[in-house]
Amino acid sequence: MGIELNRRRFLGITASVAGIAAAEGLLTACGGGGGQRAVGANGEALKAALPDYVPSALLKPDIPSVAGGPDVLTDPGFLTYPSNRVATVSGVPGNGGRYSAVTPLWGTVPPADNQFYQAMNKALGVTLDMKPADGNNYATIVPTMTAAKKLPDWIQLPLWWGSSFNLGGLAGTQLADLTPYLAGDKVKKYPNLAALPTGAWRAGAWGDKLYGIPTSSTGFSIAGTTFYRRDIFEAKGITADQVKSAEDLMNLGKELTDPKAGVWAFDDVYRYIYTHFGAPLKWRVDNGKLVHVYETEEWLAAVDWCYRLAKSGYMHPDALAGDNANAGTRFYGGKTLIGGGGLGTWNLADHLSGTAANPNYRRGAFDVFAADGKSKPVVYMGEGARMHSFLNINLKPEQIEELLAVANYLAAPYGSVEYTLVNFGVEGVHHTVDNGVLRATEAGQKEVQATTYPFLASPGSIVQNLGADQVTKDYTAWQAANVKALTKPVFWSMNVSMPQAQSTADAAQQVEDTLKDCYHGKKTVDDVKAAVASWKSGGGDRLKQWMTENVLDKFGTGQ
Amino acid sequence: MTAPRTQRSGTGWRVRLRRDRSLLLMTLPAVLLLVVFNYVPLFGLVTAFQEYDPLIGVWYSEWAGLYQFERLFADPLFWGALTNTLYLSFVQLVLFFPIPIALALLLNSVLSTRVKNFIQSVVYLPHFFSWVLAITIFQQMLGGAGALNQFLRSNDLATWDVMTNPDTFALLVTAQVIWKEAGWGIIVFLAALAAINTDLYEAAAADGAGRWRRLWHITLPGLRGVIVLMLVLRLGNALTVGFEQLLIQRDAVGHDTADVLDTFSFYYGIATGDYSYGAAAGLFKSVISLLMIWGANKLAHAFGEDGLYRR
Repeated sequence: MGIELNRRRFLGITASVAGIAAAEGLLTACGGGGGQRAVGANGEALKAALPDYVPSALLKPDIPSVAGGPDVLTDPGFLTYPSNRVATVSGVPGNGGRYSAVTPLWGTVPPADNQFYQAMNKALGVTLDMKPADGNNYATIVPTMTAAKKLPDWIQLPLWWGSSFNLGGLAGTQLADLTPYLAGDKVKKYPNLAALPTGAWRAGAWGDKLYGIPTSSTGFSIAGTTFYRRDIFEAKGITADQVKSAEDLMNLGKELTDPKAGVWAFDDVYRYIYTHFGAPLKWRVDNGKLVHVYETEEWLAAVDWCYRLAKSGYMHPDALAGDNANAGTRFYGGKTLIGGGGLGTWNLADHLSGTAANPNYRRGAFDVFAADGKSKPVVYMGEGARMHSFLNINLKPEQIEELLAVANYLAAPYGSVEYTLVNFGVEGVHHTVDNGVLRATEAGQKEVQATTYPFLASPGSIVQNLGADQVTKDYTAWQAANVKALTKPVFWSMNVSMPQAQSTADAAQQVEDTLKDCYHGKKTVDDVKAAVASWKSGGGDRLKQWMTENVLDKFGTGQ
Repeated sequence: MTAPRTQRSGTGWRVRLRRDRSLLLMTLPAVLLLVVFNYVPLFGLVTAFQEYDPLIGVWYSEWAGLYQFERLFADPLFWGALTNTLYLSFVQLVLFFPIPIALALLLNSVLSTRVKNFIQSVVYLPHFFSWVLAITIFQQMLGGAGALNQFLRSNDLATWDVMTNPDTFALLVTAQVIWKEAGWGIIVFLAALAAINTDLYEAAAADGAGRWRRLWHITLPGLRGVIVLMLVLRLGNALTVGFEQLLIQRDAVGHDTADVLDTFSFYYGIATGDYSYGAAAGLFKSVISLLMIWGANKLAHAFGEDGLYRR
């Protein structure tokens, strides 16, 4: 998922806003036909609709998962590609149906009707007309289909579009309700789907009904964290566990910054650090009353800390100039040593880019800490899956069953016969096996786009960086060390659908803009307070009231 | 510039159609493109009067009348963006507009075609760079960690904040526009210069007119029509001061310095899913631009120039 997140750089402008909204599962809703707006959220009744969870015991990972609280589980790690391929599906799942499927693709569109598609269709027993669409423009391509009510039979839609795109409005009007096929033990008909974590299904539900088939599901879903250059820290004799509070982190700035050498300790860190100060992700409930993050003292303390950081001279001038696009280059080049980022960056591609700049490159992340150094460290969870695929409401029940059987095939676990075909194509044609490592042939590079089928259904996330075991070990160890800090935020995965006016207030563009100017040192904390005051009177208070009456009072906190 | 008016009456439209058919055929693709990409999308303006919802489309979205405009005119951020737009436009008009003309005159006075072509290529190359690249170059040179400031730092001198200073942002933006677009802007003026009859210069020189007198009495009057045309177009576009350029640098100086009408529509309309609000801001901008171009054209006619078209 790291790659697609990175490549939607243009959307990154709005990501700061949509990111929080999506991470908390807040989605704007508008209604189906005739201008009616459907509003609501998931409540207790969803429990009856959720599929049973039957984990797959087929494959022993090299680094097993570690469980945290409910719905929390670290991703298992693999150091090699399993040589003993197990088949999880007997026979072909399909009955010869023909379906259209649209998924986003960040890369070159493979030729239509290629050998890979043919092999997949044969293995699936259906003809899937795959229509990969340009991932960078996906958010503008899809609304033309929904407005014309011409969705394909099967489509991938990400949750992160947040307030600019309203999935809740499509659920039940254009997207099929999958509850009758998957609820409770019905899912056992599809064992690979049953092995997907419950939290991932919850994220694809609206109004207590199941709509989405999760892809890239994970039990360790957090938006991001604060990274550091482990190789450089170690060379200077600094260890990450020295950082136990916000002031510890600030003090590193003095030690690490050397402007004459073009090195500054910090890049942007606000986004993944403000909750360390005790601020909620977006909402919290104090004595039964809903409180927005902007109203909390803890959040203001976080903003103040970030403002002081911006003014301290420990932040890279390009970061202060808002140049996020080159943050990676600065980090690889050792021009910045500490920076916030999504977890998706911690992978093989990052390792290759980093070691290209410096052979010793090693990424590390600080353990989640409490800013005061005393409280319990907390990091808020996002949804169990941030991308889901959906079936068209016009499909007949037997067609839905056929496609769910196909989804079951696509969700086969890492290292299985099915997984190998879906992700690497046919051996000898699309890949060769060289000393246990799968290498793509030219045809494989052209035709087997890693994201084509896995965007329709895929097994739970695993950590594997073949050829860079250190990355897998570091990342899984970090997950295990922080699993206890994962906490469900208020309204977790409730998929709130709200009217347009509320969603505009929810996005709070003016506050977010002023906030950004503040943690870049151009506006003071008082300016932020003023922006919050004007936000409250201009819609923020109404948003809170709406959330209280329509979500909190009716459906609870979802925690 | 002073060609006789074409005969309009006398020939019927059928005759003219037959006579000009190959010309008409040649313009057809351009007209089609214009219709498809410029006129058909005008229909989308209806969203400015709705609570537009992309999921249900234009036909079913709720009608909101002038509500979006009421919101717009009550929004201090909108007025801030309008002020920024007008200010940037004014600074660019004063500082940028004369530069391509001066450059064209300068180039025209270079005799060696080789040198001329070389200079021309060098100055208009930046036009083909994207704004991302242009601003990256500025950042690498003048940014807080750029070449200039690293040089100052290594010599223990005070650093100079060029890229993130809100007070001088208008000058920075104009400097970037000059660097990137001035070379491209000279093309139309060079063409106009080439159209001036060289006999005039020879005759003037024979009468003893020096370089400056020839510039004043022949070159500039020869350019006047084009200059006025460019000015009219510029005024019509006064509310368009660049989108990407400001979008990219918005975080560097803060939203209240960098937001112009176009970025306002983007951030407060599209980015938050509030499409109708963005459309209302866009429509407001278009109406004002239309009025301005109409006014400027009137003014040009009043001064006896052609403006956009001949009366």
